[in-house]
Amino acid sequence: MIRKRFLGLTLAAFTALGSAQAGTEIRFDGFPDFDSSLKKILPEFKKVHPDIEVKYLMNNWGDHHNKLTTNLATGSGAGDVVVVDVAKIGAFAQSGGLVDLSTTFNAGQYKDQFPAYAWAQGQDTSGHQFGMPVDLGPGVMYYRNDIAEQMGVNINDVIKSWDSYIEYGKKLKEKNIYLIASAADVAEAILTTTVEEGNGIFFDADGKPLLTSPRFIRAFETAKKIRDLGLDARVSAWTNEWYEGFKSGSVATQLSGAWLLGHLKNWIAPQTAGKWRVSNLPDGIYGSWGGSFLAIPKQSAHKKEAWELIKFMTLNQDIQKLAFRTIAAFPANVNTYDDPMFDEPIEFLGGQKARRLFAEIAAKVKPVKPAKGDHIARSIVMDNALMEVLDNGRDIREALEEAERLLKRRLRTL
Amino acid sequence: MTHETPKQGWLARLFNPPRGSAPYLFLMPYIVLFLVFGLFPLLFSIYLSFHIWNPIKGLDSMEYTGFENYVLAWGDPVLWKALYNTVWLAITSGLAQHLVAIPTACVLVALGSRLRHWLTSAYFLPYVTSTVAVSLVFFSMYSPNTGIINKLLIALSESDLFGWAFSWVPDVMPLRWLEDTFLVKPAVAFLVFWKYTGFNIVLYTTGLMTIPRDLYEAARVDGASAFRRFWHISLPLLRPFIFFAVTLTIIGNLQLFEEPFILTRGTGGVGHSAETISMYLFRIGWEYLDMGVASAISWMLFILIGILTAIHFKLFGRQGLGEH
Amino acid sequence: MRNRIEALSPYVVRAMMIVLMGLLIISALMTVFPFFWSAILSTHSRETIFSTDITLMPGDALAANYAKLLEIMPFWQAMFNSFYVAFLGTTVSLLFCSMGGYAFAVYRFKGKNLLFGVLVGSMMVPPVLSLIPYYLTVKFLGLMDTHVAVWLPFTATPFCIFLVRQYVVASIPRELLESARMDGAGEFTTYWKIALPLMKPVLATVAIVQFVFFWNNFLSPLVVLNSTENYVITLALRSVQNLPNTPWGAVMLGTTISMLPILLFYSVSSKQIISGMTSGAVKG
Repeated sequence: MIRKRFLGLTLAAFTALGSAQAGTEIRFDGFPDFDSSLKKILPEFKKVHPDIEVKYLMNNWGDHHNKLTTNLATGSGAGDVVVVDVAKIGAFAQSGGLVDLSTTFNAGQYKDQFPAYAWAQGQDTSGHQFGMPVDLGPGVMYYRNDIAEQMGVNINDVIKSWDSYIEYGKKLKEKNIYLIASAADVAEAILTTTVEEGNGIFFDADGKPLLTSPRFIRAFETAKKIRDLGLDARVSAWTNEWYEGFKSGSVATQLSGAWLLGHLKNWIAPQTAGKWRVSNLPDGIYGSWGGSFLAIPKQSAHKKEAWELIKFMTLNQDIQKLAFRTIAAFPANVNTYDDPMFDEPIEFLGGQKARRLFAEIAAKVKPVKPAKGDHIARSIVMDNALMEVLDNGRDIREALEEAERLLKRRLRTL
Repeated sequence: MTHETPKQGWLARLFNPPRGSAPYLFLMPYIVLFLVFGLFPLLFSIYLSFHIWNPIKGLDSMEYTGFENYVLAWGDPVLWKALYNTVWLAITSGLAQHLVAIPTACVLVALGSRLRHWLTSAYFLPYVTSTVAVSLVFFSMYSPNTGIINKLLIALSESDLFGWAFSWVPDVMPLRWLEDTFLVKPAVAFLVFWKYTGFNIVLYTTGLMTIPRDLYEAARVDGASAFRRFWHISLPLLRPFIFFAVTLTIIGNLQLFEEPFILTRGTGGVGHSAETISMYLFRIGWEYLDMGVASAISWMLFILIGILTAIHFKLFGRQGLGEH
Repeated sequence: MRNRIEALSPYVVRAMMIVLMGLLIISALMTVFPFFWSAILSTHSRETIFSTDITLMPGDALAANYAKLLEIMPFWQAMFNSFYVAFLGTTVSLLFCSMGGYAFAVYRFKGKNLLFGVLVGSMMVPPVLSLIPYYLTVKFLGLMDTHVAVWLPFTATPFCIFLVRQYVVASIPRELLESARMDGAGEFTTYWKIALPLMKPVLATVAIVQFVFFWNNFLSPLVVLNSTENYVITLALRSVQNLPNTPWGAVMLGTTISMLPILLFYSVSSKQIISGMTSGAVKG
């Protein structure tokens, strides 16, 4: 039976090859769930471009980026269109291995169709575009409305400032409810959203690290305060206990991207439907969690066709909406936000018009200039320094100073 | 064999070469594969360790930098921490593996064949269990509030029989096995032990197969106890295999990567408390995109392994390699 | 110490044996547990897999997981590819490694120490960094997106050659090989007809180790294989994992099924290891 199936598939592969010879075949490299949305998108693409055959290759998030690194290193083997996650786009945009979309395809003309911050994320330090935003993760606070009501608080008072947020946490603690799963999320939110004018997240305009600047101290102090008061559950994301917190209502808020909604509803905590709401992030900040970009490696032999596919996936409003409906990838193209779909009440959120909020937030996030060492700095600050302060009780200034020293050592290859 | 008359022709010569060239022909596959697939990576990484290279910039972006990568790596406090972790994990899990595997293999060989077959299969299972399953299962076992390990400790502290020995448990709960800087190393070491002990048992069972049965029989007739037979027959004759397995453990444990990587989700643990050298060089090469320093570190690790292996060969090689 | 043990009465010895058996069986249960659990999890849906109550009872999502598994990946084709790669790789490994180990154990020749040094030394190179040069080599040879590139380079591993060498040194008497040569057998014939049959137990070990390696290997397939039709099972199972949205039930089912061939293979080979002892082929 296996044999038969294998034969069948080989035959299918041969026939696919045969028909492809009529046009050009290009390959799309990405990670799940892009395959689910491509299954819907590609037939539409075929209607507009019958001469372009698109195949796709999926690997998990980490594998995909490591493979892409190998491909760029050796100048071969990459797909014609590649997905790059926001966490990696900084490094890849600077690499010189991707096609400069600004000069090659005059991508600058589409600037207004995307939120300013997402557009800036896809650029190198000199403002050339290397990645086109395909989906976004506008940052919101998810909160349990039933708990808020029970505590008798108005959520708008809670999110006024970090202090009021912490006050809410103290009240929750009396009832043995945690404010948030992990205090680290708070630090990350403050770090990435309150960037000073002209600076990047981790570096100033001259490329000097900012790790010991007041913003970092404040971010770390706020997170540490939450930890020291015992307001967070000390649970990291994507673990059993994290899911359990959502289900049981032992955690009252969660800072995250718009995409978490779909997961809460579909499998993490479907039984809590109607109890959750979303709000702006505390302290009047606007930020984003996640987001993906499409890019073309320089080694691609079919750059023009690849660009057609990228345009189709990012500029075509129907396709952006289709991806939203299929895998809840929040549209990067702001023109789609006029669609009535954005005003639909979301049942899981008790009828809240959450998508409108997501769209508003996307427009308000401030663009931050990417810097060359962002990926290294993020790892050193978030994975190491912050955890040492929170879990190991290390002095904040000392931890940040060491992080800055370590970061400086690493900057020469950029 | 006598009926085979030597044939002429190149095929026959290839198959029955003169004695002098036979070893080279036998080793030809290894030599060829090494030259094609092994030597180039070696030279490549030596070359790389003297250059600055960000891989995503492509091959032609390498820049010569002399010994800078080595100097930079040498002065890196995290590398020294990683070295300490690596050696700690290597010794703890390595010692435990062999101390358990050798006697177990001996006992298994002495057992009836059906039971032995089932037990060896069970012990071998961790070695083949896929990483995905392992990480899922161990994550939930180590989970602070709901994990089976902490639940077991609490149950023990509440039991009448063992309560006195576990009275400290309620004070320290919940134990955060994977976040606590002290607990994470034992947690990783246990996973390594769990995974490779069975593999060593299989190795030692293979080794015990080389010991002629009549030796045991003779000893039994002479009235030697089981322990004595183990100590005077099994252990000395197992020497080439102990030597081999220890060599493997030295090399493998110092390159430890996957287990700590899974359990710390690639972060290396709080304050690099479970980051091994291999993890660190992976991070520098593939995440920080600094292949030059990563190569330098890999060569420093190579030298360390080389030194330890050389010492091991010097001390035990004569008997271990069984040179005639 | 020795005398004391000898002095123990048969009853104490029996009691010790029982305790020992108990320990062995408990530890066996511990080693089996994660595998057993992953089998249980493969009958559960994602919602129940991540509930905090540890579920040791089978769930009811087996059929749904199987359907999902076939939907998200060409599962049986990937299984077939893995089997193909592991089978070819293991078979060729047996030949290459037994030849190499035999040569190191039996012959004296020029450059032997150097070659052996290279052999042991090349085990020490951390594998993480070889990925890029490996890729370049495969590309240079024109083997991109082929299965040969996934198995051939790993068929003469230092580990297995070393292992065979140790076994041959310990168990095959030189005199036996000498006498075969006296009878006029050529070098290859001696190896093939005399030595190889005696290597059965170690070859079984080599086969297990190599089969597991080929079956679980994913780094080289990841960079070399560029089409989903060619994916091996590890790669296929990894490729659907995405932190927020992995269909865990299906993945666990796929993982559990994918371990079965290794277990089967192990079971067959381990009989070979044991048979070496009972057949009495090995003489001192």
